[in-house]
Amino acid sequence: MNDKVKKLLYGLLSVSSLALFVVVWVVLSHAEGTMLPTPTATFSRFIDIMQNPISKATLPVHIWVSLRRVLIAFLFAVVIGIALGVGLGWSEKFNAFFGPLFEMIRPIPPIAWIPMIIIWFGIGETAKIVIVFIGAFTSIVLNTSAGIRAIDPLLISAGKVLGANRRQLLVDVAMPATIPAILAGIRTALSSGWMCVVAAEMIAARQGVGFLIVRGQEIGDTALIVVCMLAIGIVSALLSLFLTKMEGVLCPWQFSKTQ
Amino acid sequence: MDKAKNKKRNLILLSILGLVLFFGTWELLVHVGVISERNLCAPSTAVQTFLYKLTNTKPDGATLFAHFFSSIKLSLAGFVLAVVIGIPLGLFMGYYKGMDSFFTPLFEVVRPIPPIAWIPIVILTLGIGFKAKVFIIFISAFVPCVVNSYLGIKLTDPTLIDVAQTFGASRWQIFRTICIPSSMNMVFTGVRVSLAASWSTLVAAEMLASTKGLGYMIQIGRNLIRPDIIIVGMLTIGLVGALMGWVLSLFEKKVAPWRYK
Amino acid sequence: MAVLKDTIIIKDLAKTFYLKSETKEVLKDINITVKENEFLVLLGPGQCGKTVLLNILAGLDAPTGGEITFVNGRPPMGDLGVVFQRYALFPWKTVMGNVEINQKFKGKSKAERQAAAQKYIELVGLQGFENSLPKQLSGGMQQRVGIARAYASESDIMLLDEPFGALDAQTRYSMEDEILRIWEKDRRTVIFVTNNVEEAIYLGDRIILLGGHPTGVKKEYVPDLPRPRNYTDPAFLKLRNEIVANTDLVL
Repeated sequence: MNDKVKKLLYGLLSVSSLALFVVVWVVLSHAEGTMLPTPTATFSRFIDIMQNPISKATLPVHIWVSLRRVLIAFLFAVVIGIALGVGLGWSEKFNAFFGPLFEMIRPIPPIAWIPMIIIWFGIGETAKIVIVFIGAFTSIVLNTSAGIRAIDPLLISAGKVLGANRRQLLVDVAMPATIPAILAGIRTALSSGWMCVVAAEMIAARQGVGFLIVRGQEIGDTALIVVCMLAIGIVSALLSLFLTKMEGVLCPWQFSKTQ
Repeated sequence: MDKAKNKKRNLILLSILGLVLFFGTWELLVHVGVISERNLCAPSTAVQTFLYKLTNTKPDGATLFAHFFSSIKLSLAGFVLAVVIGIPLGLFMGYYKGMDSFFTPLFEVVRPIPPIAWIPIVILTLGIGFKAKVFIIFISAFVPCVVNSYLGIKLTDPTLIDVAQTFGASRWQIFRTICIPSSMNMVFTGVRVSLAASWSTLVAAEMLASTKGLGYMIQIGRNLIRPDIIIVGMLTIGLVGALMGWVLSLFEKKVAPWRYK
Repeated sequence: MAVLKDTIIIKDLAKTFYLKSETKEVLKDINITVKENEFLVLLGPGQCGKTVLLNILAGLDAPTGGEITFVNGRPPMGDLGVVFQRYALFPWKTVMGNVEINQKFKGKSKAERQAAAQKYIELVGLQGFENSLPKQLSGGMQQRVGIARAYASESDIMLLDEPFGALDAQTRYSMEDEILRIWEKDRRTVIFVTNNVEEAIYLGDRIILLGGHPTGVKKEYVPDLPRPRNYTDPAFLKLRNEIVANTDLVL
């Protein structure tokens, strides 16, 4: 009984916090001289952008344009990142040769690459894909190489006494053992890639959610900005949900809960 | 043993070879003209520009040090604010069910929005001054601080709590003496992520709206098509980021020596 | 009983680790002759270097002195059956996947290696669990997979490194019976490492007691007890007390 009351109370707290959020929003947006849009204005702006395009695209199209950039870049980042990460983690010589170069470039935030990338590739599709690639690439490399180095030495010993040659040891023992670490890297990479595409589009683009949010700023359309913020947030949450599902599928021995 | 020493020496030589080859090829390609100077400056030019920028304000309005100082001030202000508010909030949310139920839904609404997406609304409501930028950096650093502190408390070994309970410790004592120390590992991870996030968000904010700072400097470099300015700016940004991480790890070694063997 | 042939001769074996600041002598003057198809137990206190010795036998580590002679020639990697204390199963592979991997590494065809694996899965009594992942099995069952995987190497020599050390007492007793049953059904030379005196007496044809600093061979015991042995048999207890009195205490 006591537990039930407690549970109800906590549930009420959760509801009240969201209610409070809305109330604060309403109050702030009705204050004099504020730029903040009211919740209703935001909602009607949302309905409007779903039907009336800005820069030849409605909100779903803008979202798709951004997502497409992320997905293409991501594909490259995963393939190249895992390859480089495995090399750095597995081979001492490879690590000695490329490690310092990678360590030199790694601390530069991907966003700081934007000006250079624009000079090299202009402001078209390629530039954006390259920026997202840089944003996603580093965390995949880092997690893969750290994952390879952190493999339980017992598994490597087991592989050796079971007769694995060096290639089999890498492909059949080390790589599968590293999948959880790689997936963790992919998770970071995806959120970083999504942030980079928004940033790149904010700086120079003709379409995409990042473009749309900056357009909102330029024309003082705060309702549009809030719509974009929410859309960006929702896409990012969905991407992370998708990855959680993928983890269960790709790596059931680590993530699935069935005992 | 000799063999091990030899191997180590060879690996170091390989590292040096990698760096020399990289910079050598780069320098050569620019000098021969394979890479146009409009696209990329030679490493030697970057060094010259770096030295020049130490004392000269041209062409971007301030010396390198002035840009650096402006950036670091902003980023540390936002970062410190986030740490001071975010860590206690995360710790309390992790420990007290009521705080958890109240704040978690709010937090889940805000969390997925990348800090950069806050920039337009913040510019419109707070302008492009100090306050606006600190707020944006605060948001970027706040989220990892809260998440990791929260997880740190949640991951406390229940056995430790049981032991404390059998010794008659109060709830607050358990929080203070068991949960907080055992969460420190995660807290520091959060602080580390926060520091990196605040630095990279700052660069974005400065690129989008600013008249000073390292982000502004590389943006001007792009407008003027001065790859050397961009490269110097990028490397400074990277170096400062790495240095801040290094200072943090020194601090960690003092406060949480068990994180290092 | 017929005179057993020698199969492994360990002579003056020594192992010293050279660390940065110190040199650590772990094994010294180890002389053991392993007979064909015997169940040999290496008994020693925790941390005494038993695992180091086994790793050297398995070819994972090299001795710094002395030598090991395999009478039929040193088997290449993959031709020795090794069972680890912490199971060391590949968590991403099913029971079948784990048991067949040795023959997969050797390049056997899928049909061939799966048929062999099936035989050993049945030998350890895990039929019906072929497609389970290790984490879906109990500790005892996981170690059965480990044993089946080692048997699937079809090696004449099996090395078991405290294979039941991570199991609870009940499971441990039943696994001891299990390993004897398997060994009697499919005779091979077994070198079984343990730190548990009862386990040693219960299982061993011969018990080599290790001890001292650095670790060497202290004494050899041949339990003259018929199988299945009884833990409460006075002769069992007498031998147990004798061995315990001779064992180095490790606190």
